[in-house]
Amino acid sequence: MTQTRLLLVDDENHFRSPLKKRLQKRGFMVFEAGDGNECQALMQQEAVDVVVLDVKMPGMSGIEVLAWIREQFQKTEVILLTGHACAADGVEGIKNGAFDYLTKPVEFDHLVQKINQALEKRQREEEKKQEADFKARMEQQMVATERLASLGTLSTGIAHEIDNPLAIIRECTEFMRLLLGKTEDAVFPRKKDFENAVGKIETAIERARRITHQLLGFVRQPETVFSETDLKALISETIEFVKKEAQNKKVEIVQDLDKAGGKIWSDAYAIRQVLINLITNALAAVTSGDIITVSVRETDLLAEIRVEDTGSGIPKENLEKIFEPFFTTKPPGKGTGLGLYVTAGIMERLGGKIDVTSRVGQGTVFTISLPRTRKACSLMGDNKDICLDILNTIKGDQPND
Amino acid sequence: MIKIPTKVLIVDDEKDFVEMFSLRLQETGERVFTAYNGKECLDILEGEDIDVVVLDIKMPGMDGIEVLREIKKRHPIVEVILLTGHGAIETAVTGMKLGAFDYLLKPADAREMAKKLEGARKRKDEQEDRIRKAEARTLLRRGGNI
Repeated sequence: MTQTRLLLVDDENHFRSPLKKRLQKRGFMVFEAGDGNECQALMQQEAVDVVVLDVKMPGMSGIEVLAWIREQFQKTEVILLTGHACAADGVEGIKNGAFDYLTKPVEFDHLVQKINQALEKRQREEEKKQEADFKARMEQQMVATERLASLGTLSTGIAHEIDNPLAIIRECTEFMRLLLGKTEDAVFPRKKDFENAVGKIETAIERARRITHQLLGFVRQPETVFSETDLKALISETIEFVKKEAQNKKVEIVQDLDKAGGKIWSDAYAIRQVLINLITNALAAVTSGDIITVSVRETDLLAEIRVEDTGSGIPKENLEKIFEPFFTTKPPGKGTGLGLYVTAGIMERLGGKIDVTSRVGQGTVFTISLPRTRKACSLMGDNKDICLDILNTIKGDQPND
Repeated sequence: MIKIPTKVLIVDDEKDFVEMFSLRLQETGERVFTAYNGKECLDILEGEDIDVVVLDIKMPGMDGIEVLREIKKRHPIVEVILLTGHGAIETAVTGMKLGAFDYLLKPADAREMAKKLEGARKRKDEQEDRIRKAEARTLLRRGGNI
């Protein structure tokens, strides 16, 4: 345990010094101040747990100093020393927030006892506060989870409701196609125009369907399954996946995996999805001759994967919006605007982070950080999936429960 | 070549969907029956010799899986193609385990649907063929015993 830090404030040097020595012998760390001003100056420099404060001092009185301490340092406890049976001062002090008062001449053991009591009180309050903080955080998290859940329910509902009329529209167009195919051009002079229009409806159906499916896909993501994951192999494999597209665009994908250590504790399926999203995005931003670099760096706790491109870059005004659902700069029908939104969601589930820096005309860097170990997972915050994973592990380790 | 029409029963609570789908299938030369819920579906199966049932999973009242169970119990030879929403793959899998021929995600592609219908019809024909042959064999054997 760390040493308790005391501050003695008394104008009488011959009282202060011996008391300091005796308190030091009991294991306390002791600071001294000769008056109120010195006390203030010292407290601004040093953290103090308990102040032993003489009431009767020249200049600032003890009561004034107490008021100042209460205002500036809520956590510091104050024990007042009152002289010559001036109990009224002590009572006044307690009213103003002192822990207690002792009458001079002070019995040493009595003082030590009081100091320890003050410390205990402080600790109790600290614990209470921590508990309250924890509760508040949990409540906040519950609200967020609930909001996400209801958003999920809502979007699944909407997606399903839209899929049904889409199925009807689709049937109608298929039927029209069939009829058009059977009709002679001579009988139906504007057949081409009709076919063209039906084609447009079909494209629009496909577009709407893609959105509903992606929404349903986001809501119904498979449960996160944490396991030992070989990051190097995973990245190489993922790049292999998109290589063909890169070759078609005459873009080189460089792997810089030398700094990658061993395995990390995460969900390979989810990481692959994130990487594919990021590399596909990069491919959309580059032109012939550009380079996409995928690199890994590891620290004790984190594995950092960078996907870097020398493409067109993202304008500043868009940079804040790219993670929002339905934000896209692609022409209508080309992108759903859900890619990065889903990616950020996945990263959160994994207890990781996603960051982006970009300069127009120079390129974009996406950086994802993932906790490397189970322990790091728990340090990364209060994530439901991670908590569950840890919980399951604990349960697994103690079959007797 | 004269096409032998497949007798298809469409079961879905979306009336417009059923109507358009049946129009289209009739246009391609199939014989189509329609039902808007599970009970109607089972009633029609009692009276008609249906080849393939196209069955929506999500219906009010008796849901598709229940209907499928009943169909397979009463008319094991009838093939069933399930129509399901995107998020309901698990239900589709349950359906396959219960003996459905295949499933399609809504909104289903016409070519895919045509392919599955053909496949279902073929399986039913083969099945019937086997049953006929087996019956013939039993008859022969019995005949030999006399």
